[in-house]
Amino acid sequence: MRDRQKELLELLDKSGADLYALLTRLTLREDVAEELMQELFIKLSNSRRFDKAGNRQAYTRRAAINLAFDWRRRQKRKPLRLDQVREPASNDSSPLGKLVQTEELDEILNAIGRLNRSSREAFVMRYIQEEPYDYIAKQLDKTAHQVRALCSRALNRLRDVLGHDQRLSFEKEKHNVKN
Amino acid sequence: MSKIDENKIEHKLKVLSQIEPSSEATGRAIQRARDTLINKKSRQSASTRIWRTVFKSPIAKLTAAAVLLIAVGYTIGRLSAPEPLDVEELKAALESSLKASLEPAIRQDLIVQLNEQWQLAFAAGCAQLKEELQRQVRRDLTEFAAQTLAASGTLTNQRLMELIQLIEAARWRERQQVAAALEQIEQEKIRLRSGLLAVAARTNELLDTKQ
Repeated sequence: MRDRQKELLELLDKSGADLYALLTRLTLREDVAEELMQELFIKLSNSRRFDKAGNRQAYTRRAAINLAFDWRRRQKRKPLRLDQVREPASNDSSPLGKLVQTEELDEILNAIGRLNRSSREAFVMRYIQEEPYDYIAKQLDKTAHQVRALCSRALNRLRDVLGHDQRLSFEKEKHNVKN
Repeated sequence: MSKIDENKIEHKLKVLSQIEPSSEATGRAIQRARDTLINKKSRQSASTRIWRTVFKSPIAKLTAAAVLLIAVGYTIGRLSAPEPLDVEELKAALESSLKASLEPAIRQDLIVQLNEQWQLAFAAGCAQLKEELQRQVRRDLTEFAAQTLAASGTLTNQRLMELIQLIEAARWRERQQVAAALEQIEQEKIRLRSGLLAVAARTNELLDTKQ
């Protein structure tokens, strides 16, 4: 047990900043990312699978990605309260620009959340963490070629999902105008 | 979906990849996770220690032996008894005897463990408080030093400005005095000139009278 704690503390020192950045990118909120980071390490400290995992770093990242997307899923179900609206993490300075950009990013992230787990992980590592294919392949215990195929399929699926969502919202808008 | 939309997706993914949390927030999140891990560790080790002391303590051993003896006695009695016992009565007797033998021991043990836990928690709290206080004092001192330096710099600048103003005023006064002296010399020169002209005119007159 103590070894696990020690190992987790070392992992936190080594990859804590990267994990927090990843959680911030996936949630678009620093406060939520902080909460999820704490939750992640609590989960890891109670997890037996962590001890058995061959690549602990990859296991931790996968757990972080799953936590972030679980949070996104919960948020979609929950109605938004006024006190939950915080300033999103964004590089655009104007408030309107921020709002529009955050909505668009949310849309993309929600679509990524609908991918299956292995595609999602590969996709996040490639397009959000900008890791090279060889590194992703090593982390996922796959070949670079397989990772390329996974990412390509995921991108196609993302296009389909976003296209479908756009068509739906357009039809809804048309229906609202008619009535 | 059109090519423009594909480009848009790629652009948005690029934007996502460039989001960086502030270093302050990163530090805070890491510290929070570390605190959680450390607190969990101390809690777990405390609970393990408690169980170990419970199982090691002679009272617990005695109670376990008593329970074992009662159970063995009950089994032997049941087997050797000519007619079946009243189970309810036996159960009640067993319960009351167990309660009587176990309750004070457990209570005592619990008090000792709670005391230990309180002491541990208090010691940890004290150490943390001390460290926090030291950190606060150090921070205050640094801030004070910075403020004092800034204030002394401002004062020095003010004094220098005053000195410059004094020197300027003295130079201006000197210039005024030199100007006044030059004017006086000029007036003296004019007076001398008119005096010389008068002497020349007088001399001419005298020469004319002699001729």
